[in-house]
Amino acid sequence: MGAVADEASLIARIAAGDAVALRILFARHHVRVYRFIRRLVRDAAIAEELTNEVFLEVWRHAKSFEGSASALTWVLSIAHHRAVSSLRKRREESWDESAAGALPDAADDPEVAAQKRDAGAILRRCLDALSPEHKGVVDLVYYHEMSISETSTVLQIPENTVKTRLFYARKRLSQLLRQAGIDRGWP
Amino acid sequence: MIEDSEREEIEKLLPWYVTGKLGVSDANKVELYLAQHPDALPQLQLIGAEREETMRANEAMGWPRSGMSDRLMTSLPRSTTPSRGHGRFAKFAQFFRMYPALGTQWAAVGMALLILAQAAFIAVLLTRTPTYRLAAGAHGDGAAVLIAFADNAKASEIARFLADFEATIVDGPKPGGVYKIKLRNLDKSQLDDTLLSKLSEHRDVVRIVLPSRD
Repeated sequence: MGAVADEASLIARIAAGDAVALRILFARHHVRVYRFIRRLVRDAAIAEELTNEVFLEVWRHAKSFEGSASALTWVLSIAHHRAVSSLRKRREESWDESAAGALPDAADDPEVAAQKRDAGAILRRCLDALSPEHKGVVDLVYYHEMSISETSTVLQIPENTVKTRLFYARKRLSQLLRQAGIDRGWP
Repeated sequence: MIEDSEREEIEKLLPWYVTGKLGVSDANKVELYLAQHPDALPQLQLIGAEREETMRANEAMGWPRSGMSDRLMTSLPRSTTPSRGHGRFAKFAQFFRMYPALGTQWAAVGMALLILAQAAFIAVLLTRTPTYRLAAGAHGDGAAVLIAFADNAKASEIARFLADFEATIVDGPKPGGVYKIKLRNLDKSQLDDTLLSKLSEHRDVVRIVLPSRD
């Protein structure tokens, strides 16, 4: 509760034009924001640029922060919007899910063969291969540890859609894993 | 069929059950279901693995390059909030609202012109010392102090003040008419309360003196 109030007052200071408050908010959250964006746009330079834009937007629109969500939830919702807009602009970006599922054959080098045996690495590759829509919800729930309600706020979709989207993301993950030779017995 | 839809409803909640982000009512629902359907328990392991690898994948994204904060600060628009108007020109208009009577308006005109002259003088100082003008957050030699000049401070008084303290204006105006100055012959360690008090004593020239984080 204290942390939420603290962040709300931080945003209020930003709204009043306090650049130091923006620096503090940036220091607290920019790595999370950067990683969230980078996972979606898959480009470090673009992720940095968009992260900067996110905090500029925070600076410009701090007055519109309602305080009903946490500052991080609000900042991530801006980040999500920015990342999705960027992906829409870069239409050439196509998600090659099949590539992630394609596992090396026996002729692969020892390193790749070792990776083939590493179920964790395969799972990671399949997670990386999810669509931005699915990856976004997976990251918000598992990495950013957001509740259903917070995820709904970030993605701007109803709570039931959040639950369904993660459910289908997990199903898609199972499908990719099966293509990679791992049947995890679900669904 | 009903059983299937109940299972699906529970499965949709399981990720938040594992992360501990489920409300009490939903968490109870999940626990009751799992107690009655132990065959659903392996799902928790699957979700645990998904979570672990998602964390690894995110951590693998590493860190953005250093200096992002400074880049952000330099890209901030100069005027912070539209309602504040444009710096000292807003103050100019404010003076006339403060002095409604015609007679006092002439005095206000004088004050406003002084403010404009002061702003112009500071702008000249900034443009004349390009080598000292640093981007926000950039570090140069000298101790940095944030300062706001008194509205009625004359250009000559500001110049004398800066000369006395061997200071240079390196950035500004920031919100609230604050400028960053650098005391060239001092380093950060010498910037203490005594020095700040000494700077603050010149109330005819400065109205705010604050330590800078740089």
